[in-house]
Amino acid sequence: MIRIEKITKRFGGRLAADAISFEVAGGEIFGLLGHNGAGKSTTFGIALGHLHADSGRVLIGGHDVASARSEALGRVGAIYEAAAFYDYLSGWKNLEFFVSLSGPVSRRRLDEVIELVGLEERIGDPVRVYSHGMRQRLALAQALLPDPRLILLDEPTEGLDPAGIHEMRELIRRLRDEHGLTVVLSSHLLHEVEQLCDRVAILHQGKLVFCGRWQDADECASRWRIVCNDPSKCADILRPLGVEDAQEGCVRLPASLDPADAIGALVSAGVRLSAFERVRPTLEDFYMERAGR
Amino acid sequence: MIWKQLQGELLKLFARKRTYIGFVAFLAVEVLILLLLNLPAVRKAITRVIEQAGYPASEYLSGLTLAFLILLWSVFLLGSLYLALVAGDVVSKEVEDGTLRMMLCRPVTRGRILLIKLVAVLLYSLVLTWFIALTALAAGLLHSGAGGLFIFAPMERIFALYGFVPGLVRYLQATALLSIALLTIPCIGFFMSCLNMKPAAATTITLSVLFLDTILKNIPYFESLRPWFVTARMTAWVRVMEYNVPWEAIAEDFVWLFAINATLIILAWQVFLRRDFKS
Repeated sequence: MIRIEKITKRFGGRLAADAISFEVAGGEIFGLLGHNGAGKSTTFGIALGHLHADSGRVLIGGHDVASARSEALGRVGAIYEAAAFYDYLSGWKNLEFFVSLSGPVSRRRLDEVIELVGLEERIGDPVRVYSHGMRQRLALAQALLPDPRLILLDEPTEGLDPAGIHEMRELIRRLRDEHGLTVVLSSHLLHEVEQLCDRVAILHQGKLVFCGRWQDADECASRWRIVCNDPSKCADILRPLGVEDAQEGCVRLPASLDPADAIGALVSAGVRLSAFERVRPTLEDFYMERAGR
Repeated sequence: MIWKQLQGELLKLFARKRTYIGFVAFLAVEVLILLLLNLPAVRKAITRVIEQAGYPASEYLSGLTLAFLILLWSVFLLGSLYLALVAGDVVSKEVEDGTLRMMLCRPVTRGRILLIKLVAVLLYSLVLTWFIALTALAAGLLHSGAGGLFIFAPMERIFALYGFVPGLVRYLQATALLSIALLTIPCIGFFMSCLNMKPAAATTITLSVLFLDTILKNIPYFESLRPWFVTARMTAWVRVMEYNVPWEAIAEDFVWLFAINATLIILAWQVFLRRDFKS
């Protein structure tokens, strides 16, 4: 659906994107993670043609965004950075204007999307009286018009209260499950991304440091928690077997080591084990390990 | 589709209150000038000039004459201000507010976006100029009634008198030329607006260019360079009031203005296509 190919972008002397490449398949919900300044917005900006890449390219539906913008973005909806509207116009007029830049849309489709985002009662009000949550919903409505197959959402839950975040999460899930959309989103809320995304890409200082299913990464599959009567003796026994210390009393077993062998070595050395269990790290643990400051 | 997009751009422009400040300000200035022209000393001075030329002041101190004076005195000062204000905002304000980002998320080329903005701002300029001219005419006719047109424009070395109908035709011809000449102001503002600067800076620089050009043009030392000043070319519209209209000279001035405008638009276009848009 969207393929990012080795995009590089410098702002002055700072490298904002350093040969970033990844691909998102149709029907996926894909998360783009990174600290502030990691290159998320730059990646989105290049994907939408707001920024010119120094090298590399972005293909959407097989079309190069830089050279065939209209074809590439024809079935794309987006919220890029903070959503902004004409405050003195109504929500409806704003939608009409932005959609006019894409192509014709029926009134029925407009009504459908407005209902989907839950703005039907306030759509005639000027945007200046909208709350932040309503603006975000209006932003999502414009992204869903006229009829995209891919939506790019840059921090869609930014500034929303917990109820708003929950609502937005459910809406994004529905868009994929019920409408078959492909969603690429960036967020700082790792808990949300963990619940929503099939795969993630982690950017750090302009570089892609991970891309894929984070649950399948080595550090997630091989992390174990050991509770015993003598932790230092335990460490001494396991170190020669290639076991590394990890955070918060956990160890990481090499792929070649069967956990049963590790347990056997500890027991035969007289270590009394109370627990030896696999730990499922959260996305936050994984993220901090890959992109920690 | 482009018509629908242009409609949207015009809606954005004309739905804003500040767009109408220019219209309201001009109405106020027209009333003020009318009051000034009504002062006994001013009336006496105009009467004297007309009578010295051997014509009856009662016939030529008419609504048409007052309308022309209003147009002559108000249009450059206030016209520059409001046209620069609107044109200076047209791109840079949307960049600042973030709405241009939203537009650029759409499958529309940057060229198309710029085109509809340019057309909208040029239409605004034409509407404002005709509004000024027609309201000045209405105010003059309501105040002093129909009559001949008396033209005295010393800077352009024009002194002429016409009956009501030929005077009205000249007045409308002058307005048509003025509305085209004034398009240079939004073109300068539009160019500035496409550069990476704040809207206020785009407006201020546009006005500075115009005022500096006007000041230099009027310094006798630069008399020989007069044809090189933009505002000198922009005053070509007044020359339609001469008895023998110098159409060739007027055409030359407009070709110059067209070339300046086209250059500014092409430069703005190139800047806009190459710019990165990021907050």
